[in-house]
Amino acid sequence: MAVKAYPALLRTGFAAAVAYRAEFLIWMFSTNMPLIMLALWAAVARNGPVGPYTQRGFVAYYLATLLVRLMSGAWVVWELTMEIRQGTLALRLLRPLHPLVAYSAENLAALPLRGVIALPVVGILLWSARAHLGHDPFLWAIFPVAMLGAWLLTFLVMAIIGTLALFLESATSLFEAWLGISAVLSGYLIPLDLFPHAVQRVALVLPFRFLLSFPVELILGKPARGDALLLLAAQWGYVLLFLAVLSAVWRAGLRRYAAYGG
Amino acid sequence: MIAVEHLTKEYRVHRREPGLRAALRSLVRRSMETVRAVDDVTFEVGAGERVGFLGPNGAGKTTTLKVLSGLLHPTSGKVTVAGEVPKERSTSFLKQITLVMGQKQQLLWDLPPSETFLLNRAIYDIPRAVYDETVDELTKLLGLGPLLGKPTRQLSLGERMKCELAVALLHRPRVLFLDEPTIGLDVSMQATVRSFVRAYNERFSATVLLTSHYMDDVAELCPRVLVIDHGRVIFDGALGELVKRIRPDKRVLLRLSRPVQRRDLEALGTIVEHGEEAVVLQVSHGQLQSSVQRALTQLPLRDLTVEDPPLEEVMRELFARGAKAEERALPATGVARGAEHTDGAA
Amino acid sequence: MKRLFAIVRAQLRASAALALQYRVEFVVEGALAVLWVGVTLIPILVVFGRTQVLAGWSFPEMLLVLGWFVALKGFLEGAVSPSLMNVIEHVRKGTLDFILLKPADAQLLVSIAKIEPWRVVDLAGALLIFVYAFHALGRVPSALDVAASLAMLVAALLVLYSISILVVSIAFIAVRVDNLLYLFQSVFDVARWPSTIFRGALAVVFTYLLPLALMTTYPALALLGKLTPATAFGSLLGTVAFAAFARLAWRASIGRYTSASS
Repeated sequence: MAVKAYPALLRTGFAAAVAYRAEFLIWMFSTNMPLIMLALWAAVARNGPVGPYTQRGFVAYYLATLLVRLMSGAWVVWELTMEIRQGTLALRLLRPLHPLVAYSAENLAALPLRGVIALPVVGILLWSARAHLGHDPFLWAIFPVAMLGAWLLTFLVMAIIGTLALFLESATSLFEAWLGISAVLSGYLIPLDLFPHAVQRVALVLPFRFLLSFPVELILGKPARGDALLLLAAQWGYVLLFLAVLSAVWRAGLRRYAAYGG
Repeated sequence: MIAVEHLTKEYRVHRREPGLRAALRSLVRRSMETVRAVDDVTFEVGAGERVGFLGPNGAGKTTTLKVLSGLLHPTSGKVTVAGEVPKERSTSFLKQITLVMGQKQQLLWDLPPSETFLLNRAIYDIPRAVYDETVDELTKLLGLGPLLGKPTRQLSLGERMKCELAVALLHRPRVLFLDEPTIGLDVSMQATVRSFVRAYNERFSATVLLTSHYMDDVAELCPRVLVIDHGRVIFDGALGELVKRIRPDKRVLLRLSRPVQRRDLEALGTIVEHGEEAVVLQVSHGQLQSSVQRALTQLPLRDLTVEDPPLEEVMRELFARGAKAEERALPATGVARGAEHTDGAA
Repeated sequence: MKRLFAIVRAQLRASAALALQYRVEFVVEGALAVLWVGVTLIPILVVFGRTQVLAGWSFPEMLLVLGWFVALKGFLEGAVSPSLMNVIEHVRKGTLDFILLKPADAQLLVSIAKIEPWRVVDLAGALLIFVYAFHALGRVPSALDVAASLAMLVAALLVLYSISILVVSIAFIAVRVDNLLYLFQSVFDVARWPSTIFRGALAVVFTYLLPLALMTTYPALALLGKLTPATAFGSLLGTVAFAAFARLAWRASIGRYTSASS
């Protein structure tokens, strides 16, 4: 039933995104951290490569990071916490459509808009750092799957933390903490292979990597084919794990919500 | 106290259709429309008077009030309040007025009203002694005791309104502008607000300008009404006068001891309600005496009352007449009348 | 004057009371502030794990810039932004009228309406960074240097504030772009790095058009005793002119709001 409603949801979501295009644009332009980091590393690499990265290499890395971030972005945590706080979640629960499904549709519907804004980034990436992009068609083939996984992970984590707002007052603070930690460990601020070895080993297995760094690694053609498949499996393993966690948290949250009348 | 001469307020609105194509078009060429919210309004209010502004939504009541308080600049015309020009917004002027808007509050949401009180005290520079005295009086008049210490968000709508009134009057303004102060309140709270405003007016000889589309507010509080429709003043005088002028018909309420046929009643007047035990007739002034006499002699009555028709009906009739006149006389220019806009319309 | 102080004190008191309302949140936000300071430091730590000098700055010198950044960011996100976002809320709800009716300057009233006191952690963090940096440099700044840097700090604060006032003035007229302030906050991130990091077009933009990099670079240079008096006075003059311009823009916006709206 939700499957039947999905196209309609996507359509209205798209209309909403167009209506809010000004806000949208601003939100996208606010995602400029990769460029700021690029400025830093480009200055460092002026006199010679840093690890495996030359100046052009950094350009490739950070533009790819920007791209992945723009395309996998979600904001469901803000919507959810606001609706819980204002009590309008109750209205959503009365509809024969799972609120999280509705949120996901809204988010995906904005993809075309996000794509339009991301296009120039792609253009610049191709024009200035083509040599540093991966050439293996196999990696490119699994890239969309990895992107979907990255989006799902982002969405699921946000949904979990948003749902925690049914239990906690300061769910948004928890999310900020998550943002801080993931900025470091997902490769958003610094390429993971520039960290000291001990840190790297940990970062490479944590879920943060699969939110961002993994798709970027695919764009840059870093992993070998076998490794890429393994990493893909790990990513989707995490997706399933978070899905299970979300399901449990959501059910518990609703029980509590019903008990307290919202 | 208040003098308004030929006040006109126009503003330009950008009309846009929904949809992507229209949005793109509007980037290149904007279609603007001029709305005349207030149209050549003239009136005077003396100190200590209580005046009501009546009118349907979009009539221009709130706009007029905002011009009088200095929030809006008139397009043309002269306005003086308490001897000053409102749009200058001088400190001395602002200290003499207050504006209360129903449904909008100045109380800080997460803090107790007492915090907002203290803030306003500093802003209005109220001396300690005067402040304490005023707070005491307001607390007594409004029954604020236990409310002042609770965060505003925990108060009920009625309690919040009482605190809003208090904070608006902390600096003992001489002129009160009340914009729909009883909207959304339950009946008993409406009564509380009305009696409080009256008490304040009598105690401090403050001038009160009240807008409402609740007839009871105006009927109970304002000996004088200004009726505004489509930006124009169509009546200025006592409410009783207005009723007489608009609906010279009276209402005759009959309590019957047994049912009466329709045709027996039709001879006396227009039937508004026809029940087994109670009948309401509408009778014109001229016909009143004869109808009453005939009812008393011919009908099996238990009781007979003659009264004015409800205010709501009077107003509805008034505005309906106004609308019909508008339709006939509307000029072919691009000037639209009325339409009150929400703040911050982009 | 006395009245002005009374108003400022009353307003600060109200916003402090507001912030202290939720004690748990207070502690949580304080902890988050510490986290963000840490996250801010990590890129620099990684960079200087691999190189000694960056664009003419040594590690301890770079730390100074970062310290000023942390302090300014704390001020921006803890005082300026919350208060001015509040203005936009007022415009949306229609309650700005109440502020305009008060016999006090509207700009003053709105500027200190909402302050987040836990951002004082940022100031403490900045101080610690300075202490560490000078310890690494093996010397102590002269009194004159400290005075000069404080003057530059005040100038920077004033510029930040003025830019925010400008943004809000725009929001008055086009309410839909109110998250322009949010955009500005993220653009401010370029002030992490000394201005010499930027080359070419970017350097021009961030030195002259939107002198963000200078806001942290100048106070740092002053602390190091490297700021010439000419530069110092020039920037002070420019700041005052900019603040006056922002004030004019605010007045114009308010004027337009009162005459153009309904």
